[in-house]
Formats: sequence, structure tokens, C-alpha cells
Amino acid sequence: MMLLAKAALTVGGTLVLAGAYTMREGVIRIDVDEYRAGGSHVHMWVPAAAVPMALHFVPDKHMHHMSHDARQAVPILHAIVKELKKYPDTEFVEVDDHDQHVRIRTQRGRLQIDVDARDQKVHVLCPLSTIEDLTIQLEEHGPAA
Amino acid sequence: MLDRYKILFARTALIATTALLLSPLGTLAQATAAPASSIQSSSERATTSASKDRWLHVRVISSDAKGETVRVNVPLELAERVLPAIHQDRIHDGKVKIDNAHVNDVDLRALVDAIRTTKDGEFVTVQSNDCDVRVAKQSNHLIVHVLDKQNSKKSEVEIKVPMKVIDALFSAGKDELDLVAALHALSTQGDTELVSVKDHENTVRVWLDSKNVTD
Repeated sequence: MMLLAKAALTVGGTLVLAGAYTMREGVIRIDVDEYRAGGSHVHMWVPAAAVPMALHFVPDKHMHHMSHDARQAVPILHAIVKELKKYPDTEFVEVDDHDQHVRIRTQRGRLQIDVDARDQKVHVLCPLSTIEDLTIQLEEHGPAA
Repeated sequence: MLDRYKILFARTALIATTALLLSPLGTLAQATAAPASSIQSSSERATTSASKDRWLHVRVISSDAKGETVRVNVPLELAERVLPAIHQDRIHDGKVKIDNAHVNDVDLRALVDAIRTTKDGEFVTVQSNDCDVRVAKQSNHLIVHVLDKQNSKKSEVEIKVPMKVIDALFSAGKDELDLVAALHALSTQGDTELVSVKDHENTVRVWLDSKNVTD
């Protein structure tokens, strides 16, 4: 029993530490539901810290394939996210009509984009720090704009 | 006695391990709780910015069949910081290039210089059956007021821009408009309504204050 307890503590401790490290920045959540025949339903939860980590393993040659538009967008996105982190939770854009409701806002350090339309629902939730990490890496490893 | 301690340690270790392994579920539960809280009304959700941040608000309310409402809230400082990062077509380093300072044979810079040095007064007043137009300088603001009476449904446009903002806008090179300088000048202004458009179907308001929420 003593051996079992020690092994459980070691494995459990390692798992918790690994889990805590992976989940330290929260979760990127993407939900897409299309309400039509053959429409896609995507529900994805990814540990936010895993994405910049995974980007380290992408060969530089693939990073260089970024399109011209993407190269131009990365510094702008970086500047926006860097600034957004300074502000309290805010609703930046809200569009409302009979057919759809679009909302872009920040909430507890995360960027939240919600689109609720009759034929589809899209919800994206991503920590601002993750987007900032991503843009920094893309700027460092991508080709000069 | 020693065996009792060993058993106690083993039990404690197993309980601690179980607790540690279950703890991430709590984090996940918090993450799932977030969308549920998004059901709250926007007025409850948004917090008022306590700092001296200046916010530009745009609100469009359409009373047509679609009944569209658009609300945009942008911190001026954010716009100031982001604009220099945009390098596209005519926009570079927060400045917009204009082919030359002559637009439709009007020398904009000369016009701005003239307005700046002129005392308060009305520059343009047109009154007709179709529309009324008034362009004036008043309390260091350039005011443009247009009342369209062509249709039975009137429409009204009012633009009020602080002269400091116009000065800053034209403070760059000869053929450039300095958007960042204009935003910076705007951020030093008090709460003010910049644009108001009203017609039978739409109401548009652009205003500046220190709140991060619309009314």
C-alpha cells in the first residue's frame, strides 16, 4: 500500500504540474454550429498555452509562407491585443438586428467573439495573452513585412 | 505504532493525489461557466472605465424593417497606438497621404489656415427650399449643420470638430493628414458630441467621453 501511495503521489503530482502548466493561460474555445443540411458542428477546446508552444515546432520555412495580407495583419493584431490588455472588460462592437447578433468584447483577459444568426452560431474565446504570444512569434519567425 | 503512521501517510497521500487530480475539473468548470455569464445584459456586463481613458463611441440605430443597431466603443489611446502599425495603400505611420492638398481645386491647407486665424463667425449660410447649410466657427469649434428639406422626411446632419483637432490633422507634411496627432488632440477635449445624423430611418451619433459603455 505504501508503494502504491508513493507511486500515485508521484504520478498524480507530475500530472497536476503538467496540467497546471498547460492550463495556466486558460482555454481557447471555438464553437461553430451551422443549422442547415450538412452543416458543420465544430466544438474545440484547446489549452491556450499549448498553441504558442506548438508553434515552436513549426519549421521556419512554413512560417515564411504567410501571405502578404497576413504579414501586414500580424503587427496590427499585436498592437491591438497589447493595448486591449490595458482596458477593463468592454464591449467594443455590437451589431444587432432581427437576424443576427454580433458581439466583440473582452472579458477577464480574454477576447470573445459571438455571432448568433438564424442559420449559424459562432463563439470564439481566446486569452489575449495567447494572441499576443502568437503574434510575437509570428513577427519573430515570419518573413519581414 | 509505526504501522499506524505508515497507513495514515498512505491514506493522506492517496487522498491528496485524488484531490490534485480532480482540481483541473474545477478550472474547466470555471471555463464553461463563462459563456453562461454572457447571457447577462450588456449594461450589467460592461464596467465603467475608472481611468482617464477617452473613449470614442459610435451608435447607429436604424428604424427600418431590419431594425439594425450598431454600437462601437473604441479607446482613443488604442487607436493612437494601433494606427502607426498600419501600412496600407495611403496610410503609413498614422498618416494618410492625399495626392495633393488640392481637392476639387480647393486648397485645404490654405482654407484651414484661414479658418484658424479668423474670429468666430458664420462662414457659409445657405437657406433654400431644399436645404439649409451653415458652416461656422464658434468657441474654437468648426460647426457644420445641414438640414435637408427635399423630401417630406427631413434629415439633419450636425458636425462639431474642435479647431485643435483640425490643426493637428493638418500638422503633418504638405500632402498628409496626421490621424494620430488628430486623435491625440481629440483625447485632450472634454466630453463632446462630434457627429449627429438624424433622418426618418437612421440615427447616427459619434461622441467622446470617458466611459467605456454607451448610454
